[in-house]
Amino acid sequence: METIFQSVFSGVLMGCIYALIALGLSLIFGVMNVVNFAHGDFVMLSMYFTFWAGSLWGIDAVLTPLVTFPLLFLFGVIIYYGLISRTLREHYTIQIAITVGLMTFLRAITQLVWQARPRALTYSFIQGNIQVGGYVIALSRLVSAIISLIIIGSISYFLNRTWPGREIRATSDDLDAASLMGINYQKTYAIAFGLGSSLTAIAGGLLMTFQQVDPTMGLRFGLLSWCILALAGLGSLPGLLISGLIVGVSESLAMTFWDPRARLLVIYLIFVLVLWVRPRGIFGRK
Amino acid sequence: MEQKKNNQVTKSLLWLLLLIIAVIIPWILGSNQYSVLLVTTVLLYGVMATLWNIIGGLAGQLDLGSFAYLGLGAFTSGTLLIRYNFTPWMGMILGGLVAAGFALLIGIPLFRFRIREVWYALTTCALVEILKVVFTMWEKVGGPVERYLPHYGSLYHMRFSSYIPYYYLMLGLLLIALGVNYRINKTRLGYYLKALGEDEIAAEVLGIDTRSCKLKALVCYSFLIGVTGGIYANMYGYIHPSFFDGQESIKVAILGIVGGRGITYGPLLAALLLVGIQEFLRASIGGDVSGLYLVIYSVILIVVVLFRPKGIATIFQDVYQRVFSRRGVEKKNVQ
Repeated sequence: METIFQSVFSGVLMGCIYALIALGLSLIFGVMNVVNFAHGDFVMLSMYFTFWAGSLWGIDAVLTPLVTFPLLFLFGVIIYYGLISRTLREHYTIQIAITVGLMTFLRAITQLVWQARPRALTYSFIQGNIQVGGYVIALSRLVSAIISLIIIGSISYFLNRTWPGREIRATSDDLDAASLMGINYQKTYAIAFGLGSSLTAIAGGLLMTFQQVDPTMGLRFGLLSWCILALAGLGSLPGLLISGLIVGVSESLAMTFWDPRARLLVIYLIFVLVLWVRPRGIFGRK
Repeated sequence: MEQKKNNQVTKSLLWLLLLIIAVIIPWILGSNQYSVLLVTTVLLYGVMATLWNIIGGLAGQLDLGSFAYLGLGAFTSGTLLIRYNFTPWMGMILGGLVAAGFALLIGIPLFRFRIREVWYALTTCALVEILKVVFTMWEKVGGPVERYLPHYGSLYHMRFSSYIPYYYLMLGLLLIALGVNYRINKTRLGYYLKALGEDEIAAEVLGIDTRSCKLKALVCYSFLIGVTGGIYANMYGYIHPSFFDGQESIKVAILGIVGGRGITYGPLLAALLLVGIQEFLRASIGGDVSGLYLVIYSVILIVVVLFRPKGIATIFQDVYQRVFSRRGVEKKNVQ
């Protein structure tokens, strides 16, 4: 019983970060219908940035998003104007080809700069465990989950209460009507793409407090966030969060009670089953 | 009419020339086994991308699962050889059947529930990763350690001491793949596939049974990839769960897209150019600076996609038309 609780709880904490990663993808796919295969590699890239900041300048992993957030926003905007906006009118396979090219490029660059071996940071100031009623909780994971929740909340506020957020939602609902209302859709798309990428900067920083990074982990994070998106459907933030928790918990349970190697198996099986049973997702709006 | 005939003759001559070049390449490289392996690898991607054209180019289903079928074929043929001393010449056919059976098992519900576009792509991509984990955990057949194929240097066991026979096997497969593509293009199924690849709902309205058409294309593609898997296992001499490689499966689909969707020789052209460049760079600078060859490769890929979204094959079509059609026009004027 105690093991189950422990496992579920650590899954919930992980799920919050997964939801944060998937939120970035949801912004990109939901708003401009662009299939971004490089999203997982954005996470990997920001984890390497965090590693760099931590090992070269001794900046703590939790604080690096202050630097990497604007950096990845800029990166996303450049990628949008340089590559994505030129292929918006093309067949969707062309967009996939472009983002796969980007994915290969990012992976190769990280291999070139940081070599292929796994990297990890030695410490963070939120190290250690806390005990709550006999259960041991890693502090770094708890803090990461809380920060993820705060970020998801503020993105929700941004989308619902501010003008750029409203413009993003309007273009996502009806591109033509939004353009007629005087919204510059190129700018809105660029903001959405930049924001989607920069969310991975926060996730990357949080992940680095308790994980290592290697160049091949991009595809895994990419498929993981697509899985959460399939589960959640488009356009529902609470749905996204719940889906993230479902994925996190099932991964954690599979690791505890079956086999550590089975974690991805369980996630992908959920993904395939959800697509078969409910192609619109469980909480989907569109 | 005569000009059309002339055109056909020049086309056949071009293909014949290419075939002759392909046949003599191993004799030129003969002394260097490594180069032969690289050329065979390029051919392998050519075969896979050409086969991908059936499901991806004609039927418009973005399949990212090619290495799932390749791995299934490799594991079937390899395990039969290791366990029962079964000849891979038959084993690779069985491997193809296993791959096709698996594809049916997956394809029927996928097409039944109308999973399309991105979601079809992601499902097939997840499938490769699922099989990788399954075969890593299934200790009786796979497991984390490589299983080496026995009987080195025997024709019955398809284990040769040089890469040249494998090169010719791959070349044979490539011809089969091109032939199947060409044949499907000419049949009713080919027209149906092209129609549903353009617009699935419109094709359905016109009375095409899209589900069975897509299944036929999927079975055809997965069977031949499974057969390729048998040769793949024998060429490398071992079987390992890392054969189920999601990254490489995506690469095969990208070759099909970049080559020009629906153009029979497009994927082959893309494979020859892109994989050729990649393998050449890997061989020449890969040892000094790891990752640099991939940087160059991906930049080339992005540039090609940006400036030729209709496919590399269209460049050659343009050049071909410019060279041969103008001459045809001039001849006409003279006459």
